[in-house]
Amino acid sequence: MNAKDLSTLAPLREEEPLTFGKWLKNIWTAARTVTKGMGITFKYVYGVKPVTIEYPEVREELPANSRSRLFNDVDNCISCMQCANACPVDCIYITAVRRDKDAPKIKTDGGTAIKLDLKQYTIDTALCCYCGLCTAACPTECITHTTDYEFSQYTVTEMKYDYLAPDIRAWKHRIVDK
Amino acid sequence: MIDLQAETPEKTEKIKSDLLTVNMGPQHPATHGVLRVEIKTDSEIVAEATPYLGYLHRCMEKHSENLDYRGVIPFVDRMDYLGSMSMEWGYALTIEKMLGTEVPRRAEYIRTIVGELQRVASHLMFFGTYAIDLGAFSPFLYAFQDREDILRIFEELSGARLLYNYIWIGGVWNDINDDQLRRIAKFCDTMEENLKKYHTLVGGNAIFIGRTANVGVISEEMAYRYGATGPVLRGSGIDWDLRKKRPYGLYEELDFDVIVGKGEKGQVGDCWDRYQVRVLEMFESIKIIRQCLDGIEEGPIIGKVPKIIKVPAGEIYMRTECPRGELGYHLISDGGKTPYRLKVKSSCFTHVSMLGEMAPGQMIADFVASIGSIDIVLGEVDR
Repeated sequence: MNAKDLSTLAPLREEEPLTFGKWLKNIWTAARTVTKGMGITFKYVYGVKPVTIEYPEVREELPANSRSRLFNDVDNCISCMQCANACPVDCIYITAVRRDKDAPKIKTDGGTAIKLDLKQYTIDTALCCYCGLCTAACPTECITHTTDYEFSQYTVTEMKYDYLAPDIRAWKHRIVDK
Repeated sequence: MIDLQAETPEKTEKIKSDLLTVNMGPQHPATHGVLRVEIKTDSEIVAEATPYLGYLHRCMEKHSENLDYRGVIPFVDRMDYLGSMSMEWGYALTIEKMLGTEVPRRAEYIRTIVGELQRVASHLMFFGTYAIDLGAFSPFLYAFQDREDILRIFEELSGARLLYNYIWIGGVWNDINDDQLRRIAKFCDTMEENLKKYHTLVGGNAIFIGRTANVGVISEEMAYRYGATGPVLRGSGIDWDLRKKRPYGLYEELDFDVIVGKGEKGQVGDCWDRYQVRVLEMFESIKIIRQCLDGIEEGPIIGKVPKIIKVPAGEIYMRTECPRGELGYHLISDGGKTPYRLKVKSSCFTHVSMLGEMAPGQMIADFVASIGSIDIVLGEVDR
């Protein structure tokens, strides 16, 4: 690139000659407006409630419909795949087989007959974008967002939750039935 | 002391300093995200500035071609993450126009309320970060404190603080209750008082005026030439607001003024004008929210939308006024379940391209003020 001659660039500010009166006036306006501003900031020193909380000791209660970790109540799931289809990032993996004809008939809490046996229901929480479209699509309302937001892990594979595992099933009583 | 210039005038003219190339960004606090600007400087004066984009490119437009129409909304949220509600609103309007869906009145009211609250939140973010760019720290904390109230209301409405997925095709997701409406009304009162205080603190400060007046001037002609929109266009003294000129939603029935920069402290179109346009726009937004709170009607919140959305084949270009300017969606559909092509026209992209012309002749510190005043979000620039 050719070095541009800077003298051809017109300066944006037209410098006016600085007289002594103007110099004093500048100082006066600066001092006046800064004092006015400082007056506003000083009001915040005393008499204002602290707005921050000290996190690990004090925890904020999230609103009831806050969208945090997903939980699927597998007892009420009818394996309809609607959540997996609605998911924009495809992070829900479902495997289901047809239920035996001789097996006892089971129903969800809402009264819908369960015709498929759920073999796998896994959500990759690391991929999940917490948009909530799966919860809106679910006909039996078994998949929900909980208000549980502390679930960091050391490896990515640990973020894959198998909702048929007994320890994750137990969340139902810890989070949902609170 | 010997006066060199007086002695040998022709000799000093030959002394030329080399230009120094400095990379500003991509990780730089003043570039508001991952923008890299290559600056060629002669000591403190910028001779040339070239913005480089693409550090936050996430293929959002290509992704949307493989998603159903509802699934695009979470991706649209992530473009301008400080104005998600406005992004969703524009997208929802595009699809509704193609489907011919009628949106219930209550949903329109809720959309207007959240849209204007989002505008206030976004401009508060500008107010805080712009003050930080120019060396004032406490306005940032005050702005965030007020923004927190808005985010809390959004969190209760949609369940998320930043990426809402709240405005759906045909209406909104959750209904708003009376308690939330009362809190929004209360927020409007406190916000109006606080804003006056903040405007005196920052806008009236002689140092702030000295840093912004006559700096980074975008003339009327230049704004037209680049296709600037939003507060940048209005800051250049052009009376153009889509909410007034091409009304969508409820804006036809609402009473508000369009704020235009007048060059009070310097020239028309300088940084101070753009700052003032944004601050005064917050007052107008509060005015709109109050009218909506008075007029909100009972009724359904979502219109009749088929379970699987199939948009009839055709083309549409829909634009809305977002906090940062005009946002346009160009949708081409072939009648399937997914968009054939979804092109987003972002206002921030045009504003970034103006930096190259604004920079020459400025001091580096003034260039920082110029970048801040156009209020870009790199998520929207790169998409």
